[in-house]
Amino acid sequence: MNSELPTISLHDVCFSYQDTLVLKNISFLVNPGEFIGIIGPNGGGKTTLIKLLLGFLKPLSGSISIFNQMATLPRQQIAYVPQSLHFDKDFPISVLELVMQGCLSKLPWYGIFRQTDKKKALDALEKVGLLDFQNHPFGSLSGGQSQRALIARALASEPDLLLLDEPTASVDTQAEGDIYRILKELQGKMTIMMVTHNLQAAIELFDRVICVQQTASIINPEQLCEHFVHGLYHTPLIKLQKPIPL
Amino acid sequence: MISFLEALQTNPMLLSAVVAGLASSIASGIIGSYVVVKRIVFICGSISHSVLSGIGFCLWLERTKGIEWITPLQGALVAGILSALLIGWIRLHYRQREDSIIAALWSVGMAVGILFISQTPGFNVELTNFLIGNILWVTPSDLNTLFALDVLVILCVLCLHKRFLAICFDEEQARLQGLPVNALYLLLLVLTAVSIVLLIQVVGIILVMTMLTIPAAIANLFSRRLSHVMCMAVGISCLFCFGGTALAYNLDWPAGATIALTAGIAYIATPLIRGLR
Repeated sequence: MNSELPTISLHDVCFSYQDTLVLKNISFLVNPGEFIGIIGPNGGGKTTLIKLLLGFLKPLSGSISIFNQMATLPRQQIAYVPQSLHFDKDFPISVLELVMQGCLSKLPWYGIFRQTDKKKALDALEKVGLLDFQNHPFGSLSGGQSQRALIARALASEPDLLLLDEPTASVDTQAEGDIYRILKELQGKMTIMMVTHNLQAAIELFDRVICVQQTASIINPEQLCEHFVHGLYHTPLIKLQKPIPL
Repeated sequence: MISFLEALQTNPMLLSAVVAGLASSIASGIIGSYVVVKRIVFICGSISHSVLSGIGFCLWLERTKGIEWITPLQGALVAGILSALLIGWIRLHYRQREDSIIAALWSVGMAVGILFISQTPGFNVELTNFLIGNILWVTPSDLNTLFALDVLVILCVLCLHKRFLAICFDEEQARLQGLPVNALYLLLLVLTAVSIVLLIQVVGIILVMTMLTIPAAIANLFSRRLSHVMCMAVGISCLFCFGGTALAYNLDWPAGATIALTAGIAYIATPLIRGLR
């Protein structure tokens, strides 16, 4: 990881789906090793922002630079954990095979993974506490275990930038705690950007928070309550906060 | 069964038929597993029916223009590959209308084939053979083509299995890892077309979907790793081809239909037997 250059640099980025403007004049820098939270209302453009960073979408205008390079695929330094994976539960793939997919960019032409890559996958599984499940079918895992396996797949690629799109959205409280514990261990070892609706986690984990609601504003975690008081979000999210002094 | 085994030793045509069935099972078991897990059965249906256009065209060239070096199998192969590439391109660029366009290609391909066959002397017999299959009609040259295509499929899958697994399971992750997802998808469709052509020899166009999907679908009930599913599917497909041909020989039934029927009954019976246990 280059410690002098910003990991991510966005300058005046706009994006629209056909005629609907989703992101408008987004500009920010993310430094190496930072843990950034992305919050905002549903439909505010959080996932679109992540997809722009991944290079799956192209901005209408403006520039995106990651590791000082313009946004073009492939970017093997980037790993991604989706909100959840929509897949057939009977799909014949083991947990280890899934995690090995994080090493696909290094797969030789003859199609057999090197031992070093297998070790990376096993290390990643150990880190998320799923080593004993390596030969289990991925479809047999619980929601929380599935998300941990997806985090292991991301870690197996040894990324410099980890992007997570609401990884705790469809898991129970205990699994959510497990995922935050894993992310806390990774803090500082790589740049992490995570979309979340969990404001408590935002306060406790993140170095900075980017509020995305068509535009983006950078705020410090301790400022979060103030922003919500001013009506940035809808009611259910406000309820998650401490009682508001009147 | 004993009379069938004896007939195999004395009747080279029957032996060729069984060998053709087993050779087709190798490619179809492997590629059929991808088809089942990637859920592209409808696409395969379209490819298998479009193949008739190539068969009809080659038969017409052979019978009316006297071009003898061209065979219906070669025509089927070219038409299958072209259809696969066209359908793949449609899926990649016009996903919103994908099913309608694939259905159109399905019927247009068949229509072109039927038109050519209608202009060819003796079309009724040929059309029936291609539609419902006639494994006893396999020539030594067809067998050589079957083996060559088997080798091609096996080599491709040995080198590309993990990449194919990735695009079948999670295209987004495969793209992030720098895999040429679209090219791999088109290659998978081309290999599917090759397998379909192999199977048309055995069970015919109408029944080809049965053999491409049922062995893999049954294998998927017993295994949770794609490589294991493939091996089991090859074995199950061989069993259906051998058992179906033996049954057809003893009952004097059409071989293709008997093989497909055996597979269909096994597919219905397997979950029931598993449930009883």
